[in-house]
Amino acid sequence: MRNTSWKSQLTSSLFVLPYLLLFVVFLLIPIVYGAWISLHNWDLLNPVHEFVGLKNYTKIFNTDSYLNELFFEGLKNTFQFVVYSVPLLVVVGLGLALLVGALPGKLKGFFRTVYFIPYSVSVSVVAIIWLWILDTNSGLINQYLQKLNLPLIPWLTDMPWAWISLAIATLWWTIGFNMVIFINALNDVSEELYEAGSLDGANRWQRFIHITLPSIKPTMLFVVITSTIASFNIYGQPYLMTRGGPGTSTKVLLMNIVDEAFKQRQLGNAAAMSLLMALIMIIISILQFRITNRKE
Amino acid sequence: MQKKPFKILIIILAIIVGLIFIVPILWMLATSFKTDQEAFTAGLKWIPKVFTLENYQYSLAGNTDTPVLHWMGNSLFVGIIGTLIVLVVDTLAAYGLARLDVPFKKILISIFIGSMTIPWVITFLPLYMEFNKFGLLDTYAVLILPYSANAFGVFLLYQYFRSFPKELEEAAFLDGANKWQVFVKIVLPSARPVIWTLAIFTFMGIYNDFLWPLVTTNSPEMRTITTGIAIMQQGSFVSSPGRLMALTSIATIPAVLLFIIGQRSFIKGVNQSGIK
Repeated sequence: MRNTSWKSQLTSSLFVLPYLLLFVVFLLIPIVYGAWISLHNWDLLNPVHEFVGLKNYTKIFNTDSYLNELFFEGLKNTFQFVVYSVPLLVVVGLGLALLVGALPGKLKGFFRTVYFIPYSVSVSVVAIIWLWILDTNSGLINQYLQKLNLPLIPWLTDMPWAWISLAIATLWWTIGFNMVIFINALNDVSEELYEAGSLDGANRWQRFIHITLPSIKPTMLFVVITSTIASFNIYGQPYLMTRGGPGTSTKVLLMNIVDEAFKQRQLGNAAAMSLLMALIMIIISILQFRITNRKE
Repeated sequence: MQKKPFKILIIILAIIVGLIFIVPILWMLATSFKTDQEAFTAGLKWIPKVFTLENYQYSLAGNTDTPVLHWMGNSLFVGIIGTLIVLVVDTLAAYGLARLDVPFKKILISIFIGSMTIPWVITFLPLYMEFNKFGLLDTYAVLILPYSANAFGVFLLYQYFRSFPKELEEAAFLDGANKWQVFVKIVLPSARPVIWTLAIFTFMGIYNDFLWPLVTTNSPEMRTITTGIAIMQQGSFVSSPGRLMALTSIATIPAVLLFIIGQRSFIKGVNQSGIK
């Protein structure tokens, strides 16, 4: 079988070739092309693209340029959403997994399905459902608040409520996925460890802190990193629910990049912004990885 | 042993939490059967006073600006073809890298795995320009092809093929089978569960994607259901919660039913993918 003649290598290469082609055309070339675009004054309507070196990048860091505000305002808003949503996505995901785990056997599957159902709908449906529930006048929640003689909440038109609304909708939509990953990890925690813990007189809480949490640390890291990346990439929820408002306070970086590219048609600027955003995401992932693995 | 009051408390908590997940969907259904007048009137009517099917009739009538069924067809078509492409090219590549004498194998593997750490935002605009250059915007190609470059499937299957016992393949080679026959007759059938996992992940990824189909299509008949609904929400349905909710109900019910049927495989898939 270990026939490494050129003929055999050739037929073996044919197995990898189709994917390699798609990889080059739809990933490698775009990466290089994007970097290339970011070095040009690239107006979508102008066929001449003047080479400007790193000027698009320096503009982003120059406080006199509108790009500076566009990038860092957007980044600040994105960060806010990350800070609001990631802790909830992790803690509530784990909480639901523990809740499902504590249920008697027959009910486990049922409630796991119930909590997982919203994951199957698309972002536009999520936005429409929650807009209707959070509507200031005819929304479900405010109607109940009114019934209880409580003050109405401007869910989508005031800060920090707009962030809270976006976080709630996102949580409702995606938390089931994190829950399933946690359920899986909790099932893998060795039963013997718990028994040993009980024999040593550890109560439920102590067992959770000293046995469960350390055992699921790799899963925790995975959920933190994927939730952070997903929150960085948020677009549909603010685009459809708040349209970046009130004002521009929920206008996330990705929305600014898309606007700069397709509304202002300044592709060079937008490409430079995308590259910087990606760089920041990579650095944050590395930091999260480092921090978790240092505590060992 | 758990004490009984604790158990009951947990069940009650689970039901309350469950309501939070279900109520938004029930409210959507309730509104979809209401007239707009009733929907806007205050009053928490879970059962519509005037039960109407007009919203559904309107949404399904196939008006040129809301070809809902056509959009769903687009989403299914794009999702299925996109998934099939991923399955074919990924299984081939993963098997080649895991088992065959592919030149530069080590370098290729590290490049593919490394590519998974690259945020998608980097390729978004240049990909758009690439499709624009070839005049492929607003076509099925732009809605299907970009998803095929993702290395996740190659990595997932590569891991599986590496752990697959070699003896079966070697026996087949001794019997005179060639690489292709071994791949099709022995390797692929054994990998069915992993392939199924990859299929579900890929399909859901394509079916629910939003920003890419939003910016790369603009004619009503090229919209996917996700982007089509978004455009209705900002456009002609903006002041008609009844129609909007009928539209979202039509889009949601099949997805939810499919999901309830398929979720066991999906959860098994999460376990198998080694996401831990």
